[in-house]
Amino acid sequence: MTLGRYIARKAGWYLVALVAAVSLNFLLPRLVPGNPVDVIVSNLARGGAVTGEQQKAIYEGFVAEFGLDAPLWQQFMTYLGKVFTGDLGTSFANYPASVNDLIGQALPWSVAVQLPAVLIGWIAGNLVGAIAAFRGGNWDRGVFTSALFLSAMPYYCLSILLLYGFAVVAGVFPVGGAYSLGLTPEFSVAFLWDAVSYYWLPFLSLVIVFIGGQAVGMRSMAIYELGGDYVNYARAMGIRDNKITQYIFRNAMLPQITGLALAIGTLVGGALITELVFNYPGVGLLLFTAITQNDYPVIQAVTLIITVAVLLANFLVEIAYGIIDPRIRAASAGEK
Amino acid sequence: MSTPNAPVTDEKEAPRSNPFRSLNFSARFWVSLVLVVGIILLGMAGYVYPTSPGEKVGSLYDAPGGGLPLGTDNFGHDVLAVLMAGTRTSLIIGLVAGVVATTIGVVVGLLAGYVGGWFEELLMGVTNVVLAIPSIIVLILISISLPQSSIWSLAVVIGITSWPWTARAVRAQASSVATREHIDVARLSGARLPGILLRDVLPYILSYTVMAFVLQVAGAILAESALSMLGLGPSGANSLGIQLHWALAFQAVGGGAWWAFLPPTIVLTLVSFGFLLLQSSLDEVFNPRLRRGKRKQMKQAAARRAEEARLLAEQAFPAGAPEPTRAGDQA
Amino acid sequence: MSALLARATNIRCVYGGGEEDFTAVDGVSLELGEGEILGLAGESGCGKTTLGNALAMIATPPLYVLSGLLEIDGESIDLSTLSVADLKRHRPYRGRTVSMLPQGAMNSISPTIRVRSLVHDVMRAHDPRVTKAEALDLARDRLKMLDMPVRVLDSYAHQLSGGMKQRLITVISTLQNPRLLIADEPTSALDVSSQRMLVEMLLAMVEQRIMSGVVFVTHDLPVLSQVSDKLAIMNAGRIVETGPTRRLVEEPQHDYTRTLLSSVLDPSHETRERGRLRSSGHAGPQAPTSEKEVGAR
Repeated sequence: MTLGRYIARKAGWYLVALVAAVSLNFLLPRLVPGNPVDVIVSNLARGGAVTGEQQKAIYEGFVAEFGLDAPLWQQFMTYLGKVFTGDLGTSFANYPASVNDLIGQALPWSVAVQLPAVLIGWIAGNLVGAIAAFRGGNWDRGVFTSALFLSAMPYYCLSILLLYGFAVVAGVFPVGGAYSLGLTPEFSVAFLWDAVSYYWLPFLSLVIVFIGGQAVGMRSMAIYELGGDYVNYARAMGIRDNKITQYIFRNAMLPQITGLALAIGTLVGGALITELVFNYPGVGLLLFTAITQNDYPVIQAVTLIITVAVLLANFLVEIAYGIIDPRIRAASAGEK
Repeated sequence: MSTPNAPVTDEKEAPRSNPFRSLNFSARFWVSLVLVVGIILLGMAGYVYPTSPGEKVGSLYDAPGGGLPLGTDNFGHDVLAVLMAGTRTSLIIGLVAGVVATTIGVVVGLLAGYVGGWFEELLMGVTNVVLAIPSIIVLILISISLPQSSIWSLAVVIGITSWPWTARAVRAQASSVATREHIDVARLSGARLPGILLRDVLPYILSYTVMAFVLQVAGAILAESALSMLGLGPSGANSLGIQLHWALAFQAVGGGAWWAFLPPTIVLTLVSFGFLLLQSSLDEVFNPRLRRGKRKQMKQAAARRAEEARLLAEQAFPAGAPEPTRAGDQA
Repeated sequence: MSALLARATNIRCVYGGGEEDFTAVDGVSLELGEGEILGLAGESGCGKTTLGNALAMIATPPLYVLSGLLEIDGESIDLSTLSVADLKRHRPYRGRTVSMLPQGAMNSISPTIRVRSLVHDVMRAHDPRVTKAEALDLARDRLKMLDMPVRVLDSYAHQLSGGMKQRLITVISTLQNPRLLIADEPTSALDVSSQRMLVEMLLAMVEQRIMSGVVFVTHDLPVLSQVSDKLAIMNAGRIVETGPTRRLVEEPQHDYTRTLLSSVLDPSHETRERGRLRSSGHAGPQAPTSEKEVGAR
């Protein structure tokens, strides 16, 4: 099948995934028995500052604003419409803060930690894995076992260990947070410099585990390729080992690209909890807070954004694979 | 970069046709088995441990000592008792979810791989869709929708969101098995689809099923603890994730109460590592091309061969006679 | 009687992998004349492929060559391969002095490179100065000479059929005009018409002195009897009988040879057909010397 058809097919399935994700995102929270607005209003009432009449007004205001009195399918349409125009609604808990603002503040922190972790982790991990496979011997054993251990560790477990070891005990890094108390986020050198010291531990706990996973995968693929017929044949023709290494690398990379898509999904998921551990003001912390507050618009918005981001990343990776793998890029012409 | 060929002392073992004939379990396998069994024992030990996890035996974050090997947590409970109970709960959830996920995955994979054609495309498309959507997100959404989550409901939910891995692995194997002759024989003799799948196809993919199950259990345990740390764990129960959740909520890390969060962290890491190691060593048993021989044996064999070669060379060219031009030495 | 092309003496190979090594080739010697095709026949597991690997100097662990001497092209090459160092030592000969045509060429080309890259790499392996243009020119000439489409050079492996790949690998293996070609079961994976094309190609190449001799390893006796000048019958790591094809087929001396032949051939019919595939002008197979090498012990 040609590259064009491959891309079209992938696009089709990803569209299905997107629709499923959006629908799930909309539907599930609404299956909650009872009304989230009830919870909030009763919370307000508990504060005692609101009279019975005010409660009613607030309640009706909420219902109208969030469209909770309309039939389900209508709510879905409203929801879709709002999502596509980029309006993610208003927060329940932080009313009247807009969800867009909340996410806008949190997202850069998450991306700043996760994106470099993925890129650096992928390159470094594959290199380490390839070298281990080629050198063999004790080097390989050591690298494989430690990489396996690191890759097996949940992201947040490493976070906890690093936080305790390097921040609490050794005092080398600050204990949680993203910047020093009293500072406000801004694009100034002073602020960024301060934020860097808070950046290291969260970044390391993501990148180290990611490297471990990539190294293990690459090592297995390279070892598998080492036993391939084309390696034997190239050797039989007198081709030097360096050249053969290049052949092996190109072949081993392909499944690694496919694996990258999944690894990104896992990293994003794990990063959520890592932010909790470090009190890092990214979307993970935002989500956690929203869950405790039953703040449905925020919860929905965060899950939607995360899902769309992961789907997009996966889609791009799959396209890249289609371009790189000659079996897809160059259609089968069937020379006889 | 040195030669891609593994050095002589690390040769691959001679290919064996039937992996079960010589189950060459490596050191890795035994280590992983010890880890997994050890953790299971830790969980079971909770039944015989004198203190119950709900018993208040001290105040907030008492340090270890005075009969409490791991001190108390934020509720004043014995951390070790909570740890044991938590391990047990996590293992149970992992097991149940693993069974659910493996069953669904195997069924989907078998059907897809064996039937093939558009049906396979459809099933695999669905599988990929489920795989692409980050499972933690789905779990979060489901968890906030359910009023209360018990251990069992959580395990089932985790199971039904994590089967795609197994389905993919099983499908690849099933479709290669489907083309073998004895399947055709079974088909011709009138056997029906479920029968063929169970009796003829399943044994071949059993090894992959086992490996997938191991991974599913580990994945489920981790998924549950992630949910628990987000506050969406099984209500009223103790699990490793819930233990960590409270530790974070009460600032145990910052406060230096290492006994409250290090044990569950370590146990979680060991659980994950143990299962992964188990799966990887099983992978080597079933996939000989990944094997990389035993050191001591290789060294002895290599030395033996070198000696033999030397003797043969001496026979052909006794000392004193002109040696053949080893022109290759100029390489 | 043709001049001697190559002589191999006392080749001994073992498979390592456990407590004890398994002896696959137990002291084998053979000779090949210029322009000759030596058929190496035997049942599966008799060690003929291993012997081929030893001769082509590509024995990799778990296969080890404990001893063996190859005299070819005025050189005496120690075939023993015990370590990576030996493999390196043999590299200059591989593909140039002795070349291998492997069994099942299906996966012999890396899936992510085009054929022309492999061609260039093969040529560059022994002479780094060869440019891509030079390498491709040579390849094109060879392809045309052997009636193969030139556009395979631009293809990836997955775009070619099995038969085409096998013939292509044959071309690549002989690009450097090796003195000796070891062909390991080249026809086993092919259908009958592809088999015929391949065999004719090999014969044409020998005739045109692209290579000076071929060791044709196979269990397929009918093909061998049509193609080879000499036969060597192998069993359990040793050569039990060797000699001119016609004589061996019509008057086998060793019991095993007789058993092998009787299970496959109708001698009278096949040897009559023998002349058909051979082109004329070739030094005939009537060499009077017939050594019975039953091992060096």
